[in-house]
Formats: sequence, structure tokens, C-alpha cells
Amino acid sequence: MTFAIKVENLCKQYGEQQAVKGISFTVEQGTLFAFLGENGAGKSTTIEILCTLLKKSSGQVTINGFTLDASNGNADIRKSIGVVFQQSLLDERLTVRENILHRGKTYGLSKAQLTDNYQFVSTYLHLEDIEEKKYGTLSGGQKRRADIARALIHRPSILFLDEPTTGLDPQTRQFVWQAIKQLQRETNMTVFLTTHYMEEAAVAHQVTVLKQGKIVAQGTPDALKTKYAYDSMALVFQNAQEGVKFLEENAISYTENQGIYTIRLTSTLQALPLLKKAEPLIASFEVIKGSMDDVFLHIMAEEEVA
Amino acid sequence: MEALISLVLRNNKIFRRDKTHVFFSLLSVIIVIVLYAVFLQKMQVDAIEQLTEATPELITMVNEWLVAGLLSMIAVSTTLGAYGIAVKDQESKVQADFLTAPLSRATIQLSYVLNAFIIGCIFSFIALLGCEIFIVTTGGKILSFGDFIQVLSILFLSVLLASVFNLFLSLFVSTQNAFSTLGTIVGTLLGFLCGVYVPLGALPSFAQHIIMYFPISHTTLLLRNAFMESSIANVFDGVPVSYVEDYKMNYGIVYELNGHILSSTTSLIVIVCTIVVLSLASMILFKRKYN
Repeated sequence: MTFAIKVENLCKQYGEQQAVKGISFTVEQGTLFAFLGENGAGKSTTIEILCTLLKKSSGQVTINGFTLDASNGNADIRKSIGVVFQQSLLDERLTVRENILHRGKTYGLSKAQLTDNYQFVSTYLHLEDIEEKKYGTLSGGQKRRADIARALIHRPSILFLDEPTTGLDPQTRQFVWQAIKQLQRETNMTVFLTTHYMEEAAVAHQVTVLKQGKIVAQGTPDALKTKYAYDSMALVFQNAQEGVKFLEENAISYTENQGIYTIRLTSTLQALPLLKKAEPLIASFEVIKGSMDDVFLHIMAEEEVA
Repeated sequence: MEALISLVLRNNKIFRRDKTHVFFSLLSVIIVIVLYAVFLQKMQVDAIEQLTEATPELITMVNEWLVAGLLSMIAVSTTLGAYGIAVKDQESKVQADFLTAPLSRATIQLSYVLNAFIIGCIFSFIALLGCEIFIVTTGGKILSFGDFIQVLSILFLSVLLASVFNLFLSLFVSTQNAFSTLGTIVGTLLGFLCGVYVPLGALPSFAQHIIMYFPISHTTLLLRNAFMESSIANVFDGVPVSYVEDYKMNYGIVYELNGHILSSTTSLIVIVCTIVVLSLASMILFKRKYN
């Protein structure tokens, strides 16, 4: 197993305040890694350290086999990573093509290689219709496409994305997200992203949840769901009294909220026999699959208590 | 190297495409032209008329005086404007994007300096051509080839000085708000400190001293000498030497400091030394700022 990123006991101190408190994790090559956490949990600090923008206080970081802060200003690491920032950082008065080529030249690529790479990113992110437009005149989604293209111009093996879909309309979010996933699959690139959207984290290979500078949970989305989320069924009875009687007779524990009775299930299939049995009593029902939202909320709530 | 060139070209495009930015960096120069058209020219001509009779050559000489001041101001205001990109990049975190590429901070900073220098050279050269057209169409003679080369060399030096001077100032600033305040202060003071808004002789002696110690005013002085030399000889033909010396001192064509007339060589030394000192100071400041 080869690791694209290996972090051991990483700490970051801002004066008195400790933003990252000794975290360790590994990211396997060619996988999609999602970093979750509330605002101020230390996600951005961590990603900035990994992108060589911020000096770590202590700990060991290896990226693509190169040790962070070892020598030569991290040039080896920088050549092998691409970064998409939260904000748009291309120049408004330059066209998309000018922007990407100007920044591409800072990687010391040959002319032929740069042209090749540009062709690749342009096709991949469908830049044909916007490449001659000034960046400042683009819509939010078009800007994001250009941002990602810029991050890929030197064909890095790891792509870092800091909340890439925050603030986009649902349709654009979908497009951007599809592009990232497709890219990851087809080029076998390692993708490291922070996000607020649980459905995005759900398709990652590995999820790490950060809280107040510490890792509070990590694993595959399935493993996390098994541990922190459960499937459930919500029932509305034709007659509430009869319904309650039914539940109690069958020793089923429930919670009630405004006439909706929620039952915890071990799997969605468990709902079937129950529904058959209670069919004459039921006015309506809903079977709810445990989601990453539950995982996130439960982890946060659990830690609150602890 | 290729990365540096690419950054410089990028800075250059951004500056040139921001038309309002270009306009505002030329604002102090535009003000001078307006002041000159309204009263500066007439004031000076009136004063000289009392010494000698007014001839078309006199007008040309006074025009040349203006042109010299204008060119020295353009070098400063355009290079300062060019550093606006550096401040904007820093504030908007564009520099963070550059820093994820294999570039050092020093390379990025150098690209701003080179861009400022190039912008200064381009605008100075265009302005020089414009000034020559102005002088010729108002009845003056075009610069001889030798004088033209001399003027170009002084402009080159003055743009270099202005680039370093503004680099030093811009290192103290990290927001665009602060930078535009800096621009206003420099733009306003510059006209006075180069003796363009008000002739040197009209100021109290402490102010005259400040101007003489202000290194950029020495580029104005050298340019005035280069532009006006032959006109002065023509206009003041037959006028007592002491009157001519008075005129030169009053209008900042020579400096007399502590009873000594400063030579052109002294001015050159002042300029070169300032360039060296400010370069070193900027490097130290830069290291401090990012460590």
C-alpha cells in the first residue's frame, strides 16, 4: 500500500492557541479523502500546512514521498500538488486561457508539455466556451471550472480542494462534484477535500472528522455509518391510541413527535414484516436510511457530552 | 527564470488592462499640466520678462522646464501605481496561489519590482515623445541626438530610483486602502518635493533644504539641465551672469546648498547612493516582513 500523504502527530500553534492538536492520518494513493469538521475545527489550517503555505509547529508530514519542510523550499512537493482554494484567485482582467497558462509557466514545464496539459484540462473541464472570456465576467460555476483547471495544469498527483462547492448553486455544485469524481476515477489521482456537504463525504473512500483540532472519528463512510448512524422508520397511525397499543404489545421502543412515531431499525429490511403486521393501522410511513448527516451530528453530539 | 518572466508579463497585463488604475497613477501629472496651463507658465514668463525681453525662445525654455518636472514625476507615479498589484495580490491571497507553485517569495516580489521598472520605462518613454511633440509644435527645437541619449539615460536612472523608492514604501503597506492613501500622499507631496507645483525660490529656506535633500528632486534637476541648457544660453544672451544664476537657483535648475553650488556629478552620486541604500533597506524589510 502506498501512501500519498502521511501525517504523524501534526501540531499547529498560533501564539497561545493550539489550532491543530497532534493529528495523525494517512491518505492512500488514488483515493478520495474527505476532511470534515465544523468551522474553526482546524481543517483549513491542516490543508494549508499540507499545501506548504503554513509552517507546522511540530510533527512529521510526508507528501508523495517527500518530507515537508525538509529542504529546497518544498519545491518537489509543490510540483506534485494542485490546490483549489475556497476563494477565486485568478486574475479578473485576464482571460481564462491567459490565467491558466501564466500560472502554468511557473512550474517550469516545457512549451510542448504546457500546451499538452492545457489541452487536457481544457477538454476535461469543458473550457472551450469560456477560455477566451475574461475571468472577471464569468459566473460562479464557470470560475470554479477555471480554478480547477488551473490547479491541474501541471498534472499533479494530489489535488487539494478547500470547500470547493461552498456557495455554488445546486446545479453547478453537481457539475463540479461530478468533474472531481470523474477526474479521480479516470486519472487515479489522489483527492483531498474539505467539505460541509455530507453527501459529498458519503462517496469518499475515507472520511476523517476533526473537532477542535483533534480527530474524533475516521474510517470509510460505511464503517462510520454502521457505528454512528442507524436506519429508522417513521409511522403515522390512523388512530394514535391503537397504534401505541400495537407498539407496546410488540415491545417496540419508539419516540413520538407531533403524532409521528419513530422506530429505530437495525436494517431497512426489518421494516417489512413490521409493516405487514401493522398495515391496517397505518395512515402513512417512511423508511429512512442512515446518512452521513446522522454520522456527523452524532459524532458532534457525542463529543459534546464527553 | 521562465517563471519570473511569466509573472512579470502577468503583472504587466493586469496593470495595462486596468484603465482607471492607469488614469489614477497619472493623476498627479495631469494636475501639473492643468496648473501649468492655468498659471504656472505665465507666472514664470512674467518674472523672466523683467530681466530680458520676451521671445518665442523664452516660452520654449519655460515649456522645457515644465517637461523636465513632468517626466521626473511620471517615473514615480507610474511605478508606484504598478506596486498596487503587489498589494492587491497580498490582500486577496493571490500570492498564496503562487506559493503553491515552486516559486519563492523573493521571486514573486522581484516580479513586481521588474514590472514597476518596465511600466515606468514605457510610460516615461511615451511621455518623452509626447513632450517632444509639445515642444516642437509650440515652436521649440527638437532635442539633438546627443541630448536625447542624455535624457534617456537620466530617465532610465530616475525610473530605477523611483522603482526602488516605491518598493521601499510599498513594503510598509499591506492593504489596498492603505495603499491608496499612500498613493494620495506621494502624488501630492511629489509635485512640491520636485519643485514643480511651486518653484524652489518661492519657498521658505527650510522647505528648500528639504527639497534639496530629497533624492528624487535630483532627477528633476538633471532633466532640467539636459532640456534647458541651450535655451538658457539663448534666452539670457547678454543678461548679467548673476541674474542667470539667480534664475537657475529660483527655478531649481541648480541647487546651492550651504554656500556651494552642487554639480551634476553630486546629483548623480546622490541618486546612485539612494538606489543602493533603499535596495538594501528593502531587502531587510522584506526579510523581516516574511519571517
